[in-house]
Amino acid sequence: MDEILSVKNLKKYFIKKGFTGSDKEVTRVADDISFSIKNAETFVLAGESGSGKTTIARLILRALEPDSGTISFDGQEITNQKDHLEKIRLGCQMVHQDPYASINPRMTILDIVKEPLEIHNVGNKQERNRLALQALSQVKLEPVEDIASKYPHMLSGGQRQRVAIARAIVTNPKLVIADEPVSMLDVSVRIGILELIKELQEKHGISFLYITHDLSTARYIGHRIAILYLGKIVETGPINEVLSSPHHPYTQALLDSISDPDPENLHKEKKIRVNEPLDIDVYQGCRFRARCPYAIDKCKQEPELEKVSEDSQVACFVKIN
Amino acid sequence: MTQNPNVPLIHTVSVVTLSVDDLSVQYQSQGKKIHAVDHISFSFSEGESLGIAGESGCGKSTLGLAVMKTLQENASVSGKILFDDISILETSDSEFTKDIRWKQVSMIFQGAMNSLDPVFTIKKQFMEILQKHNFQGDHVQTIESAISSVGLSHSVLDKYPHEISGGMKQRVVIAMALILKPKMVIADEPTTALDVLVQAQIMILLKKLKKDGLSIILISHDLGIISEIAEKVGIMYAGQIVEFGNMEEIYKNPKHPYTVALLDSIPKLQETKKITPLKGNPPSLVNPPSGCRFYDRCPQAMEKCKQDPPKIKTASGFVMCWLHE
Repeated sequence: MDEILSVKNLKKYFIKKGFTGSDKEVTRVADDISFSIKNAETFVLAGESGSGKTTIARLILRALEPDSGTISFDGQEITNQKDHLEKIRLGCQMVHQDPYASINPRMTILDIVKEPLEIHNVGNKQERNRLALQALSQVKLEPVEDIASKYPHMLSGGQRQRVAIARAIVTNPKLVIADEPVSMLDVSVRIGILELIKELQEKHGISFLYITHDLSTARYIGHRIAILYLGKIVETGPINEVLSSPHHPYTQALLDSISDPDPENLHKEKKIRVNEPLDIDVYQGCRFRARCPYAIDKCKQEPELEKVSEDSQVACFVKIN
Repeated sequence: MTQNPNVPLIHTVSVVTLSVDDLSVQYQSQGKKIHAVDHISFSFSEGESLGIAGESGCGKSTLGLAVMKTLQENASVSGKILFDDISILETSDSEFTKDIRWKQVSMIFQGAMNSLDPVFTIKKQFMEILQKHNFQGDHVQTIESAISSVGLSHSVLDKYPHEISGGMKQRVVIAMALILKPKMVIADEPTTALDVLVQAQIMILLKKLKKDGLSIILISHDLGIISEIAEKVGIMYAGQIVEFGNMEEIYKNPKHPYTVALLDSIPKLQETKKITPLKGNPPSLVNPPSGCRFYDRCPQAMEKCKQDPPKIKTASGFVMCWLHE
């Protein structure tokens, strides 16, 4: 079996009740989401804030209950049974965005890293210390003993994120969900973290779900990508294919908006191919219709993901390019 | 600089010069002295825009605040800042507010969209600026023209901050910075915390304002967005400008090893080559080491680098590095 995680038709709607409880506002944060992650693969979920990226991560770890759909991890469908939850929460770990908020300032680095082992009752005390120190050396926090006795405030942002990664890999997980792991870090530190993720993958065969809004770093470490827009996957496929020849107008707009450091930019006019948003119900038909410069009449119906090549799919009637 | 007839906001055609000479800023905190900006000198002029690039804690925001005379009370400043031949540091606070602040040079603060007051309408907050500066003239008309110039409709004025999106709030804040028609705006990370598409739209707006004659000092960690706006670039590291010059020259032919590393460390969309990460962290600014501050992390460090590096002239600026002696 070569798939570590498979998500099928996952749905989650958030319902906000009005003041009187009568009128409701429904946000479709995950609408019929399907994707799978192979062993030792980095799969990217990319989209803007509010597109549902983090919600999907929380659904996978059952921090949230899905409305419908299935999640299979390591060949086992995950339900609310206790042993299922233990399986996914041990085998799938998470690295959060902000390393200043995600690690407890009152605990030493050693205690932080070995906490997941304690929660899951792995080994005895000595064994846990050994595993925690080993994880610290895997994330290249040297000298290990020295770092282990420190507190988070004594470390830099990049070092803290390494602690968070050490905590994620200490249970020897098969999948790590990394939610914007470098967006809070300085430019020169980012690459170090991305390289570390790559290395852990090569050495230990860990799969990564990399959640980001930044297509450049996604390109650097990702293998396959899914572009999310308002809770729906609009385009998915091998990352090089999707980012070099996008078929969905939203993917194109995202790519337009990136400024690579290039002296030519100064003299060029910057253009993003999107329209001013129309005031229409985004859940009627294609969700991007309100901003899409290519919208046609047919777009009032909802497009489904269709194959455009061997491995790529796009949900668009126009299919640019 | 040509004036776009559709945009009556910026009337200046005159040449603005900003020159900073041997500027140092120190913060006093818990008995320690933090050298946030350390003997910085540079100048630029003639409707040019400047990008100040560097990582967190390198002093780039402090530099912006020093020019605006809005540093905290625990800061001590030395050196010279000349804005159109007016020495900013020798001007009294009240005079500065009366003649220069917001009228000649204004600032778009980092995270500015959270600086709007939630209990007042946008219009009220514009009015406050005009009243504070004793603005003579038609208040409503001035506000409306400012709000149009940033691509928003007048209906925004009657709304409260929570009713509009982050991108719109950022535009409102830019309109506020422009309302008294300054010649120069200092934009401190104007696009961070915004969504990708909105970020790009704000950059398009700044590009348009620049075309209409506004000088922009763009402070950012993002060399990509700096390349959209700035003719001149200063690269800051640990409180010093280590390289300064034309953007084109610096991007194409970076001289300081830090500039090289910074440019290299950005993953690009159309390239997937392996990048070697820079090791280590910037030095503490409490007691910065003597000699080159990049010494510990520099792949080309030599014995000589333990002495303070000289400022070497380059084609369009300078570099502080012994390699180019």
